[in-house]
Amino acid sequence: MGWFEVISENFMVAGGRPLDNLARLKDSYPVVPHGVSLAVGSVEPLDTDHLTRLRSLVDRLDPPWVSDHLCWGRAPGLHLHDLLPLPYTREAVDLVVERVKRVQGTLERPFALENVSSYMTYRASSMSEWEFVTEVVERADCGLLLDCNNVYVSGRNHGFDPERYIDAIPADRVVQMHLAGHTDKGTYVLDTHSEPVCDEVWSLYRRAIARCGAVATLVEWDDEIPAWEVLAAEADRARIMRADVLASSVA
Amino acid sequence: MQRSLADILRGASPVASDVASTALADGIASGNERLTPAMQLDIYREQFFLRHLDVLREDFRSLAHLLGDETFEALAIAYLQAFPPRSFTLRDLGAELVRFVATAPRWADDALLADLARVEWAFVECFDAPSAPALALADLEGFPEEAWPSALVVLQPSVQCLTLRHAAHDYRIATRNGELALGRPEARPSQVLVFRGPTALQCLDLEQDAYALLDELARGTPLGDACERVAASSGATEDAFQEKVGAWFQQWTTLGLISRVELAR
Repeated sequence: MGWFEVISENFMVAGGRPLDNLARLKDSYPVVPHGVSLAVGSVEPLDTDHLTRLRSLVDRLDPPWVSDHLCWGRAPGLHLHDLLPLPYTREAVDLVVERVKRVQGTLERPFALENVSSYMTYRASSMSEWEFVTEVVERADCGLLLDCNNVYVSGRNHGFDPERYIDAIPADRVVQMHLAGHTDKGTYVLDTHSEPVCDEVWSLYRRAIARCGAVATLVEWDDEIPAWEVLAAEADRARIMRADVLASSVA
Repeated sequence: MQRSLADILRGASPVASDVASTALADGIASGNERLTPAMQLDIYREQFFLRHLDVLREDFRSLAHLLGDETFEALAIAYLQAFPPRSFTLRDLGAELVRFVATAPRWADDALLADLARVEWAFVECFDAPSAPALALADLEGFPEEAWPSALVVLQPSVQCLTLRHAAHDYRIATRNGELALGRPEARPSQVLVFRGPTALQCLDLEQDAYALLDELARGTPLGDACERVAASSGATEDAFQEKVGAWFQQWTTLGLISRVELAR
């Protein structure tokens, strides 16, 4: 393995085994914190306790970048612990841009937003998801964590062409990619991270690498976790595919 | 809009079962040829429940085992309605469950539920409590004899002292060991210590006097006062009690329960 990603919130704790294990991991590999709860698109003010503890984790890990999701998930007196999509509107862009700038100011570290899988669409949306994502990362001057599986899942759920999405995102903003498996629930596709990466997502990954270059890639598999050999084989496949695409583009 | 959506997404019933929620969903979501707006929101609503149920089931495994799936789900739904998640971390989700099962009408009649919840939550707190170096007996060499009565014995931050009405800690261990055919644990007053050892979380049954002394020390009572209070209620002679205290300190130091001894200021 070249590097590892950890869920930030699991290590924003006072002590014990989580931090001991993290220290051992950091001794041997670069470790990038990936958050699931910052909820930068929530109308609620940013949680300062969360940010303070995230900053401590960042200081502990000294990572090349930090990431979280382009979503909302907090409301007054409630944290939904979900990655809820935003309406694709100028108002939402303005909100997220302002929040991301504050996050970057606190962390003093490159920050990247991940596109989420979604299962609902808003009447209020006035642009496509890829236009929304592009405008946010350009105006916030932050990175994009491109999740190819999420593009595929949302494409299936909402009937858009995932290749068009990949072709439209700002390639120079992509600092990392995610690959993962999903579950077909019949009337929709659910991002479960419990399956191997499917052929269609591998195909999107090839296309994304051809556009974005040698971007760090991580396979997410955090439910129904298989034997290490199976996981490692998925990571190897991504590594080989990326090298193959990059070699082809040089030739 | 986010506030309205949040209310819908933490609802216990399908969106379509409520006219006002359905109308709200229609106004916010656009739906598609396969899913109505209400069905789109139900995907998130179901995930809200499943995600938090999973966390509660994992953190309170023995309670879930005792109640069975259906009743534990009912408990989880009632708890999530009474104490919706507020913290950014799911680690804190069960922080109010002890209080809930000890006071909410359907659950408060059975004291075993609160005992199990108390033990399980102590392990959660212990797991990621701050770390501190453990005191070795050698560290006490040269500690002035006359300073002992006013000394403060500081325990490891992970140490939790629990008074239980049932052997809930034994039941927890049995469920974690996969023992499925368990009877209800007996009503047996127990004094239990939960702490983080060098390699694993541990649970220790203590005799009443040892527990009382440790509990006093954990509250910040100086050693002399703590010993006096416990000795007064123990019925042991002074010599016998001092001998016991010596043996307890040896055990607690060996287990790494004591972080440091501070001289009184």
